Amino acid sequence: MAGDRVFELRRASVRLGGVDVLSDIDLEIEAGERVALIGPSGAGKTSLIRLLNGTVAATGGRVRALGCDYRVASTRKIRAARRRIGTVHQHFDLVAQLRAVHNVNAGRLGAWPFWKAALSLARPFEVASAEAALRRVGIGDKLRERTGDLSGGEQQRVAIARVLVQEPRVILADEPIASLDPARGREVVDLLFAISDETRTTLVASLHDLDIALGRFDRVVGLRSGRVVVDTSTADVRAADVAELFRTDRDGSS
Amino acid sequence: MWRVARAILLSVVLVSTAACGAGAGGEPGGLRIGAIPDQDPQQLQRMYGVVSDYLHDRLGVQVEYVPVRDYAAAVAQFERGDLDLVFFGGLTGVQARKRVPGAAPVAQRDVDAQFRSVFVANPAAGVEPFTEVGDLARLKGHSFTFGSDTSTSGRLMPQYFLDRAGVSLDDFTGEPGYSGSHDATLKLVESGAYQVGVLSASVWEKRVQEGKVDPTTVREVFRTPTYHDYHWLARPDLDQRLGQGFTDLARDALLSCDGSDDREKQVLDLFAAGGFVAAAAEDYAQIEAVAGQLGLLR
Amino acid sequence: MTLTAKALDERVGCLPPSAVPNEPPRRAGGGTNRRRWWLLACVAAVVASALPVVLDDHPVIRVDGLRQLVEFFAAAVAPRVDGGFLALVGASAMTTLAYAVLGTAVSLVIGVVGGVLTSQVWWRADAPARRTRDVVGWSLARVALVVPRGIHEVIWGLGLLIVLGRSPVVAVLAIGIPFGAVTAKVFSELLDEADRAPHDALLAAGARRSSAVLYGLVPSALGDLLSYAFYRLECAIRSATILGLVGTGGLGTELLDSFRALVYHEMWTLLYALILLSALADGWSSLVRTRLSGSRSRRRGSVDGRDPVVAGSVLLAAALVVASVWWVRLDPSVLWSDRSARQASMLAGQVWPLVMVDGGLAELLRLAGVTLAMSVLAMAIAFAVAAVLAVPAAALPQLDRVTASRARRLPVLLAARLTMIVLRAVPPPVWALLALFAFYPGILPGAVALGIYTAGVLGRLMTEVVDNLEGRPLRALSALGASRRQLVWYGVLPAAAPRFAAYSLYRWEVTVRETVVVGVVGAGGLGVLLHHQLNSFHFAQAATIVLTIVLLTLGVDFVSAAVRRSIR
Repeated sequence: MAGDRVFELRRASVRLGGVDVLSDIDLEIEAGERVALIGPSGAGKTSLIRLLNGTVAATGGRVRALGCDYRVASTRKIRAARRRIGTVHQHFDLVAQLRAVHNVNAGRLGAWPFWKAALSLARPFEVASAEAALRRVGIGDKLRERTGDLSGGEQQRVAIARVLVQEPRVILADEPIASLDPARGREVVDLLFAISDETRTTLVASLHDLDIALGRFDRVVGLRSGRVVVDTSTADVRAADVAELFRTDRDGSS
Repeated sequence: MWRVARAILLSVVLVSTAACGAGAGGEPGGLRIGAIPDQDPQQLQRMYGVVSDYLHDRLGVQVEYVPVRDYAAAVAQFERGDLDLVFFGGLTGVQARKRVPGAAPVAQRDVDAQFRSVFVANPAAGVEPFTEVGDLARLKGHSFTFGSDTSTSGRLMPQYFLDRAGVSLDDFTGEPGYSGSHDATLKLVESGAYQVGVLSASVWEKRVQEGKVDPTTVREVFRTPTYHDYHWLARPDLDQRLGQGFTDLARDALLSCDGSDDREKQVLDLFAAGGFVAAAAEDYAQIEAVAGQLGLLR
Repeated sequence: MTLTAKALDERVGCLPPSAVPNEPPRRAGGGTNRRRWWLLACVAAVVASALPVVLDDHPVIRVDGLRQLVEFFAAAVAPRVDGGFLALVGASAMTTLAYAVLGTAVSLVIGVVGGVLTSQVWWRADAPARRTRDVVGWSLARVALVVPRGIHEVIWGLGLLIVLGRSPVVAVLAIGIPFGAVTAKVFSELLDEADRAPHDALLAAGARRSSAVLYGLVPSALGDLLSYAFYRLECAIRSATILGLVGTGGLGTELLDSFRALVYHEMWTLLYALILLSALADGWSSLVRTRLSGSRSRRRGSVDGRDPVVAGSVLLAAALVVASVWWVRLDPSVLWSDRSARQASMLAGQVWPLVMVDGGLAELLRLAGVTLAMSVLAMAIAFAVAAVLAVPAAALPQLDRVTASRARRLPVLLAARLTMIVLRAVPPPVWALLALFAFYPGILPGAVALGIYTAGVLGRLMTEVVDNLEGRPLRALSALGASRRQLVWYGVLPAAAPRFAAYSLYRWEVTVRETVVVGVVGAGGLGVLLHHQLNSFHFAQAATIVLTIVLLTLGVDFVSAAVRRSIR
């Protein structure tokens, strides 16, 4: 049934400034899957994540997210689909000048009319659930802190809280732990998995850390030079495939 | 930051609500009089303060003097309906009548029928005094400044007489100046910035009387024939706003100011006049024609 | 990530950020060559503009006019200080301040809304598909802001006076509309340069674009906007004064009255009040802006609302807005009164269709040429005077205390800064009258008047350029034992010159607009004719002239942008 298919890509390509960033991607992700995207730097992992949440347009092929074809759907339809897709970014992409509560509430912007969003900056709405979300990620006491003053790990937790209040059906995470130290990184991954368990959301994450990718996720999609070269369950991954994925053509180049 | 922004938002909303409330008072029911800014505004304030009191007593309505800082603005505000009764100059009065059809001259001073302009020159320019209009041709080849460009005595009528003498503006050295006021004209000619200038005869005489003119730096070279200048102009909707026959009452009030008591004496003194006389549109036909010729009427 | 401190300091001029190159990138060979050509072209333009003045059959300076100049400046030691007059001056100063504050407030509202609506990020956002429509919309929005920007505050004032009558709203809008359009341009560029990731993240989460801009971009651009607003407050005081010259009230109007009657000792009292007001506004805005950029560099591009000076200033500004509304009795109901509507439709009916000026296109072009020549001469004067003043006015904070010998140089520094404040506090028409005493009528007195006024404005910006120069080369020079003078010639001027030129080129456009306010001097050009047409109520011709000035401004902007690009 189409409703259970979260993403469906058919020969999707992205060309930016004359460079093929992604080529002929065929990919299906079903509800409830936990997919790790792996590959060397520049392989197109971030572009694929952005293709999935619609912030990058496919220059060829088709992308359907939650039943919505980005290329032909109306703006309203696209927004409705995006509201159900929460994204966690490597650099958190929070607004440093705003207090944590506003950054969490930013996850609700898709559901709020503009006037409500504007008024909320003066006097925050739905503080209780924002605080609950922050408590869930372990920093309930930071509600009124200026986001820019928080540590990196705390900021990533605010970003996750933002996704929490969005109540998404799928969470995309783009290198969520690359900016954090290993201990902090593991905590964030645990948190994402816990949330995915509790709310039964699909999880798609791009990762550098192969141990985590192979140890925690159900399925691995390996990208190289903008093409999918590995797509299998983590149980079936062969070491040779992974080595091939990260092979360098020449020393010093990537 | 946002807390501060919130405080600002709140206070701005409050104040603008308050301001709107205050503004709902509506149009004042009184008579608003005005004048072109042809002299020191404090002097104008004194003059029209006395006139306002006088008219208030005679007409029984609130009279407010609204100061204006610019000739064209006086016309514009008369047109807009912000001024009901204005003591215009010859040119501005004609302009105002052209823009407000039905506006009628109600009165002028006895001296207004006898207005003149004076051409003054810096002695270094070597212009000798003369008496014939035709001799204005002697000013060719000198630098020249008018006063305010919509002044009747500082621009319009002088240009008319220059034209009659066959002098066009191109005959002067450089472009003619527009000093902005009679006093500025005087100062610029005294300084030699312009060799020749022109100003209202009454201002010139007053400055001579006050001893503010140094004959070694500026002297009179020519006095124009007389023409009509200032007059009181009333808006056509005055009767409608303040009662049938109000315009006539206002005219009578002005005309009957003959110096028979102290305050009337004061009014006439301030206006430098012996009394007010009736004015008719025909008195300004010449000004209207000249203004039309110079493209000053729309 | 937000702007570098250097980019910020450039932004706080009355200039859009694009006016000035952030970092002059070294370009090989071709750049130097092109630069040389442009330099030659600039010199040629100045010479061509000065030619009619030099070729005239009388000397340039009038010696006998100097007596009047002496008379004017002698009155400076004996200003009129009786109680009644001082009360009037005080009240007028408050009115001018009130107009400036309210005008700036209105310009901020227009600037934020207009800035969002003219930013690229607004038009390109949302569904990645629709491109042409967005580009067209963006271009239209940009064009819509060009016209209000190209029309001088005084022209706005005159037009609004006709429509709205004698109301404080006239002065507020006459400042607010053109300033708002400039602020919108600056704010749109701030938004476009701001880190777009948070905004994109919100869009990706399904936020509508208005909410995404509000949450994702506005907060990070707000600090720079605040800084810019405080800078503009000082500009607004000058504009409110010049507007007073068309009779909106305040110091300018009183100055006009004393000016018409040539009562010098009254003029001086008013000028002192103006200078004081400018100096206070200048000091306040510098303080706030230093704090803002300080907190920014300390805290990774954030605005710290908790900085007591900044927070206090913002609160004080808000209080000033409230007090100003009360002081001038601002009554916005005039905006929707029947009378205003009638006047507006009258004006619109008489403006359109446009009518060519008497004398036809040839005359219009000749006058435009005169205006252009006056502006070129004015900029040449302004550049020279400002550059000479900026160097002693700079504190050179890059150097250590000993080398800079700050305490000893303080009197020189203060004198230079005060001179610049005086130059820009005195309205150009007053400079014009003084220039008329010293020079023969023609474009020269107009150019001198605009030139020294502009020098006051430019000098301040140039001082900031010098104070923000890269410190390392200067420290290296001073470590080599260079004297301060050597430091200036070998360290400061070579580094600062390109940006001095860039600022001057940008300001050229403003000067073209400002030629309309020095019509007094018989210099001719479009300004004088514009005044004549307005005074004779020939609105259709007046509109033609205004449009010509707008086009001339655009042309000048285009040329100056081209030169600025090549001198980077």
